[in-house]
Amino acid sequence: MFFPLGITSPGGRERSSSFSMKTTSHVGYFFIVPALVYVLFFGVYPLIYNFILSLKEVTLITYMSGTSPWVGLANYWQTIKDVVFQRTFTNTLLFTSLSLAFQFLIGFFLAILFNRSFPLKGLLQSLIMIPWVLPIIVSGSFFRWFFSDRGMVNGFLLAWDFIDKPIPWITSQKLPIFAVTLANIWLGIPFNFVLLYTGLRAIPIELFESADIDGANWWQRIAFITFPVLRPVIITTLTLGCIFTVKVFDLVWIITQGGPGDVSHLLSTLSYSWAFNKFHFGRASSVLVIMLSLVVSLTVLLNSIRSEGE
Amino acid sequence: MKGGKYVKRFILTFLVLSLGVAVSIGTVAVAQEKVTITVQDYFDPAGGMAKFIDEMAVEFERNHPEVKINHVYIPFAQLLPTILQQSLTRTVPELTMADNPWVPQLIKAGTYKDITDQVKEWGWENWEDFFKGHRELTSANDRIYAFQITTNNLALFYRKGLLEKAGIANPPETWQELKEQSQKIKEALDIYGFAFCATASEEGTWQFEPFLWSNGGSLLELDQPEAIEALQFLTEMVVAGYTPRDIVNVSGQGDVTQWFMNAEVAMMVNGNWEFGWHLTEDVMQQLGDVAVATLPVPQKGMRPVVPFGGECFGISGNIDPAKFDLAWEFLKILGSSDTMLRANIKHGGLPTRASAAGKILAEKPILKPFLDQAQYALPRPLVGGIDKYPDISSTVWVAVQKALTEMATPEEALKNAASAIREIFSAEEYEMYKNMARELLAEARGK
Repeated sequence: MFFPLGITSPGGRERSSSFSMKTTSHVGYFFIVPALVYVLFFGVYPLIYNFILSLKEVTLITYMSGTSPWVGLANYWQTIKDVVFQRTFTNTLLFTSLSLAFQFLIGFFLAILFNRSFPLKGLLQSLIMIPWVLPIIVSGSFFRWFFSDRGMVNGFLLAWDFIDKPIPWITSQKLPIFAVTLANIWLGIPFNFVLLYTGLRAIPIELFESADIDGANWWQRIAFITFPVLRPVIITTLTLGCIFTVKVFDLVWIITQGGPGDVSHLLSTLSYSWAFNKFHFGRASSVLVIMLSLVVSLTVLLNSIRSEGE
Repeated sequence: MKGGKYVKRFILTFLVLSLGVAVSIGTVAVAQEKVTITVQDYFDPAGGMAKFIDEMAVEFERNHPEVKINHVYIPFAQLLPTILQQSLTRTVPELTMADNPWVPQLIKAGTYKDITDQVKEWGWENWEDFFKGHRELTSANDRIYAFQITTNNLALFYRKGLLEKAGIANPPETWQELKEQSQKIKEALDIYGFAFCATASEEGTWQFEPFLWSNGGSLLELDQPEAIEALQFLTEMVVAGYTPRDIVNVSGQGDVTQWFMNAEVAMMVNGNWEFGWHLTEDVMQQLGDVAVATLPVPQKGMRPVVPFGGECFGISGNIDPAKFDLAWEFLKILGSSDTMLRANIKHGGLPTRASAAGKILAEKPILKPFLDQAQYALPRPLVGGIDKYPDISSTVWVAVQKALTEMATPEEALKNAASAIREIFSAEEYEMYKNMARELLAEARGK
């Protein structure tokens, strides 16, 4: 896992000043060896290997015998031409943007709500964390049942006569991607809530008190104090959320397996399916490279917004 | 130089400790210098087959005190990726199991060792005792590479009690009867008459194949009327509400069995492994009315043509020559008629050798429909483009799902699939595989 946010070790600069540079520089190299080896083996090597695979035609047989021919960018061209890929790309954008927007908004308002005291606050706060605590296999299986034709949602709607036949949440062409997005929003709320709530707690109460004296209303306090002060936290939350969301795999795989009829794939599930269902390792790798480019460009975009503000 | 001293001390401690660890590992290794034969499979460690292999291993170790059998479990979804990695690093375990559709590819890729000479020595009659489809699957160019030790196929499970309540005396024999009975069940009991599994995985294709093949359709000619009719029939069942649309989203065939056990559906397509999984003897007694029939066919008098499933074991292509004889010894035990019979009784599977198949019926009469169908059951890769089968299969399940959820008509869905499948092959290859499939299908249908 990389940290594209440019996280540096806290206090790194101070320590180098208290020791003399001459002795510590070598010691320093010694200490980064484990991390370096780890990153090289588990980060850089797979990345490069994946990129190489994406430039070859790799099937099960050529993969094992090591005789995969180079095909240049043919995998990318075929992938981009593929209708299933095009829909999957749109799905991923839709899934990511909707998830980020709603997770953030809901998390933000919950954080504001919990920033004041009220009865049972502690209990409710831990209840909010439930989605985060549950293993995805549990929540995923639950959502599959929740959205199925004879599941809970349809059961309620039918019982209250809102509909006369079940809505095909995950058994139709258009709805499944929204159903899995909804599930993902639910899963992501605690993450947004925790980060924003922590950020909110750090705002000095005096700022709000003086705003109150100046006669600011609720909206004005949010817009002119909370938002500007929280800005770095907000952007970090969104950036991390973005990385986590683009690479979601398990949730969709458990709920729909990318189906029915390939309509609910994300880039990650499509890549897996091409690799391990069809054994087109080359094309599957090209999908991953495209997915990675998407994550990196979105992160760069958010990072540039952050540095602009600083 | 304070920092330097700490570093030296650290390095010294580290060296002393690691030396100590290395020495002790060495001593332990010398103490138990045994030949290890690793057996790798995805059989559920709590299930009948895995336990049986464990028993065999204990027995084998008793007879060969110098040998240690190491039985390794890898979950189904991880087994093929694991074999791939092992092939690259030439560390495929001595005895490696694979699901039968992968076997032709693994043979081509050199994962398995040629055991033809050993089989000849053992006695050719042993090989000929295996049913034809299993022999064809585990051999290539007249050389033998593996044994299929268990098989299964699909039949129609039904709840007698529910059928009787709906005024039905006998299970359906034709598609038309299946539809009519499902309608009766829906009207009388307000439950689903019929369910199968149409999930986005090999299981989805595998459950479509009996309908396709029994109607004379081929995976390589999906745009033909025989194929379209088959999917049309299944789609009508879903659209009419006789079959739940949720079949496209079940996590596997086991989910359908849950509905069946809960009396939410009266009839289902499923495999004989269910007797070793959900429908164990105590559950069967509790339900009291579960019965099995051969799958309904398009017209009376036709044969139900089903795909066969099951697992194969072979010896690794990269095996240490010193271990080969021992590995073959163990494989021979797994492939012998008597072991196969005992293993499959525990596993809920069907034996792949004629001599064992005859005997299992006396033990488990409920397996009769499966055994009847097993005679003509087809190996999926051989009627689906051999090593391109996984690719074809994933195209097929997508088409099936599209039709069942009415995203496309059966005709549109299958025509698209057919043209996608044609693109996988060169024109020559396509002709060859298509004709091969035609021949095998005609033979299986008895026409």
